[in-house]
Amino acid sequence: MMESKHAADGDTDGNTVNAAVGALTAAPLEGAVERVSATSLNAFLAQIEHRAFRLAEMQLRQREDAMDAVQDAMLRLAQHYRDKPPEEWAPLFWGILRRRIVDLQRRRKVRSIVVGWLGGGQDGNGDELPVWDPADQGPGPLDQLGDAQAYAAMSVAVRKLPRRQREAFMFRILEGLDVADTARAMHCSQGSVKTHLSRAMQHLRDQLEDWR
Amino acid sequence: MSAHDTHLAQRAHELYGKAAERLDPAVGTRLQAARLRALTAAHAGERRHFGSGARWLIPSGACAAVVLAAVTLWQPMQPPLPAGTAGTAQGSDLDNELPPDAAQTDPVLYQNLDFYGWLASTDQTAGRH
Repeated sequence: MMESKHAADGDTDGNTVNAAVGALTAAPLEGAVERVSATSLNAFLAQIEHRAFRLAEMQLRQREDAMDAVQDAMLRLAQHYRDKPPEEWAPLFWGILRRRIVDLQRRRKVRSIVVGWLGGGQDGNGDELPVWDPADQGPGPLDQLGDAQAYAAMSVAVRKLPRRQREAFMFRILEGLDVADTARAMHCSQGSVKTHLSRAMQHLRDQLEDWR
Repeated sequence: MSAHDTHLAQRAHELYGKAAERLDPAVGTRLQAARLRALTAAHAGERRHFGSGARWLIPSGACAAVVLAAVTLWQPMQPPLPAGTAGTAQGSDLDNELPPDAAQTDPVLYQNLDFYGWLASTDQTAGRH
């Protein structure tokens, strides 16, 4: 699905990124997840669930929330879109997951505000405590992985991006969706996707200097 | 094209793929269970949807049976018309409105239609006086 539409990308900023993504997709990466077109919903979800979890975890920084988001996205896709053509499942699923992640982030923000109103936002000296964030009790995301440091650095850099830039980077570069599917998942125009991605790459270039 | 951009995109994509592949088995099991729950729930919803449609079949069938029974019972309760009444009335109407059957009528009648018409009008006029 993702190899065909890169040639249609026209703007100058997008060309660099799209060429990079094109290079990615033209030569499959060693260890990269194989993307096979799944015809059954079960196969599609089985193929996508690990990556979806990683993507949610990167944004939510909490395993339980990431699990909830992925589970909810799978449920909604199965309940409401199972009769759609299989080629539409990917943008639909990522769009559902994106909205679910945004909902959870907003809910978390509201929770931190409520905790602040109740006086939990200050320590004994009256100083403000950092914004409430649930503790991650699970093991580190990549304990078994030799590239843990690099992945952690990338995750931190990606989290610092504005939300729309982060989403564009994740869907286009990490997940490898084409511009059209990314636009559908993000519920915006293809031009906006290119703009967001260009700015995201610019930020990441600065933040990941040591990747040169 | 910046080589750094290409390298950055490739590296990020590779790390993401590896991270997904090497997911904690416990998390993988939970994801698998979540997927099966989602598919089961969707199937159950589909069955419920079908079941709600099937539930309407029973009252609809009952209503149809009641209506059929009512119609069947009501028809014999209609008082039968006296034999020959309908036929007679129908026959008189036909006599008044339809022309005489050409096969059974004397051909002389058709040859002297003007005369018989005059005769009929004369009889009606005489009857009024």
